[in-house]
Amino acid sequence: MSLLNLRDITKSYGEGAQRVDALRGVSMAVEAGEMVALVGPSGSGKSTLLAIIGGLLSPTSGAMLIGDRDVARFDARQRSQYRRDQAGFVFQASNLVPFLTARENLLLVGEFGGADRAALRKRADELLEELGLTDAAGQAGNRLSGGQRQRVAIARALMRDPLLILVDEPTASLDSKRGAHVVEALRDAVHGRHKACVMVTHDLEMAARADRILEIRDGLLQAHEPAMQPASPAPCIVDPCE
Amino acid sequence: MFAIREMSRRKLQFGLVTGVVILIAYLVLMVTGLGLGLNQLAGNALLAMDGDYFAYSERSNLSVIRSQLSEAQVKDLSSAPGVKAAAAVGYTAAAIEYQPGEVETGALLGIDPGSIAEPAVIEGRALTARDARALLVDRSWVNLTGTGIGDTLLVQVGLSAEPFEVVGVVDEGSFFFQPAMFMLRDSWRGVSYRAVDQETPYASVVLLQGDGLEGASGPNWEVVTKDTAFWNIEGVSAQQGTVDALRYMGLLIGAMVIGVFFYVITLQKIALLGVLKAIGASGLYLTVQGMLQVFLVSLTGTLIAVGLAVLTKATVLSADTVPIAFTTGAIVNSTVAVVVAGVLGAALSMRQIGAIDPIIAMQQQ
Repeated sequence: MSLLNLRDITKSYGEGAQRVDALRGVSMAVEAGEMVALVGPSGSGKSTLLAIIGGLLSPTSGAMLIGDRDVARFDARQRSQYRRDQAGFVFQASNLVPFLTARENLLLVGEFGGADRAALRKRADELLEELGLTDAAGQAGNRLSGGQRQRVAIARALMRDPLLILVDEPTASLDSKRGAHVVEALRDAVHGRHKACVMVTHDLEMAARADRILEIRDGLLQAHEPAMQPASPAPCIVDPCE
Repeated sequence: MFAIREMSRRKLQFGLVTGVVILIAYLVLMVTGLGLGLNQLAGNALLAMDGDYFAYSERSNLSVIRSQLSEAQVKDLSSAPGVKAAAAVGYTAAAIEYQPGEVETGALLGIDPGSIAEPAVIEGRALTARDARALLVDRSWVNLTGTGIGDTLLVQVGLSAEPFEVVGVVDEGSFFFQPAMFMLRDSWRGVSYRAVDQETPYASVVLLQGDGLEGASGPNWEVVTKDTAFWNIEGVSAQQGTVDALRYMGLLIGAMVIGVFFYVITLQKIALLGVLKAIGASGLYLTVQGMLQVFLVSLTGTLIAVGLAVLTKATVLSADTVPIAFTTGAIVNSTVAVVVAGVLGAALSMRQIGAIDPIIAMQQQ
C-alpha cells in the first residue's frame, strides 16, 4: 500500500454562482522514497492540493490516507499534530524565522513537540552537516543566501523525521544553478531517508529531477509520466556560489 | 524558548514596550505611594496607639474633632464588658510658635502617663503627672522646625498662647496632617477649653483594649475598631477614593497600552505565526509564548519602575515636601496589579494568535 493515497479529492470555494471548483476529483498515490513533481499553470489547483496534503486545508470531499488514517477527517488539533509529526514543509520563500539562527530554526520545530533536547541538538547538527550547512549554523535566517535558506528549510522539514515532505516552488526565488542544487539536496534527502515527497513547481527542468511528474490542470490530474533523469547531477550539495 | 529568544533578538521592539510599562508602573506606584503617605499624615499617630478600638461620643458621627466625652461616660465605657484597658485621649489642633513669628500647626493629644495611650519616647524623657507645661513632640516636628528637647514652644488655641517645654521626642507620626504632640490630658483640657469644670469635656475619644467590643455602645457613646476610626478621620476616605481612582485609571491605561502594543506586534508577525502553525506549532504553544512575553515585559517593566520609584523617594522627594511612602505590601500589590493589567490587556492579541490560519504560510510567496 502506498504511503500517501488521495481518493477523489474535491475542493470548492463559495456557493451558487460564486462557486469555484479548485479540485475536481483528484486521486493519486505516492510511495515512500518517491519524489513526485506536481506541475501545472497558475490557478490549476496544485497549491491547493499541496495544502490539503499538508493538512493546511480540508477537502470538500474525498479521502486522504496516510497509511490507514484519513487526514481529511482530522480536526484542527489533529491536523496540527499531523503537520508537526508527519508532514515537513518547504515553502517557496523558505519562511525561516528571520531572527533565529539556522540551527535554532531547526531546534524550534523540535520544541513544538517537547522532544528530548539533547537528541534534538544532535539531530539538528547531523542535518546541518548533511546539507552542507555546518558553517552557516550560527547565522541568522535573514543573513543566509537564498540557496542556504532553502537547504535550512529542507533540514527543518526533516527535523521531526516526517513521513512526507511537501515542497512548494522551492526554486522560484533562485537562479537555475542554485535551484538545481536545492532540488538535488531534496532528492537525496527523500531517497536517503525513504520519505514520500510532493513538490509543486512551475519549473519543468526542476520537475524533471523528480521520480515522477503529475500535471494538474483546471483541478484535474492530466497525466502520469515518468520523470526525466537530470542531465548533469550536481557534483556536491554545498553550493559553491554561496 | 521561542518567546525569550525573540525578545533577546528584537531588543528595540520589546525595549520600547518595556519602557512604556515602566512609565505606567512608575505612575501607578507613585500614586499608590502618595496615597499611603497621605494616609500616614492623616492618622498614623492614631494607628500607632496601643489599642484595638476607639470609643466616640454618640453624636460625633465618629469624628475625633466633634467627639466629646464626659468623665462619667469615660468611666462607664471603661468598665464595659470585654474592656481590658482604656485610656482617655484628647485632641485639639493648635498653632505652635517655635520661633518669634514662626508658626506651624500641631496635633495636640492629651494623654495620661502610664496609660495605654502613652507613646514610646525615642529621645529625652516621658511625661510625668507633674509635667503640666511639658510636651512630647514627634520626630517630624523636629525635622520640620529644627526645635528639640529643652526648647519652649508657644501653644495657641483660640486667642491666648501658653508656653510648653519640649521634654521628649516620639516617633508616632502625624494626626490630621499635623505632627503629633503629646501633653498631659489635664493640660490639654486647660489649653482647649480654658475653664476646666464639670462641664468641660474629659476626653475626645477613649482608646480601648479588649475583645469583641466592636459595636458596643452605652449612654451617648459607641465603640468602633481602630481601622474604622482611621477611615472616619475627616478626608481620609475621600482622599483614598481619589488616589484609588487615579490608580485604577493608571492600571486601565496600562492594560490598554500594553494590549495595543502587543496587538500591533502580533499583527506585524501574523505571517511568521502562520508559518509556525503550518510547520506544526499549536495555537496553544504560540499563545503560551505570547503570554510569556507579555508577562516578562510587564514584570520587567514593573520591577524597574519599583526601583525607580524607591530611588525617587530616597533621593528627590522628602516626606516633608511630597508625602510619599512605600510598604512591601503596597509594592507587591502594585506590581501584581500592573502585571495582571498587562496580561488582561494583551488577551485580545492572544485571541488573534489562536485565530491565525496556517494557510497564510503558502500565500506569502
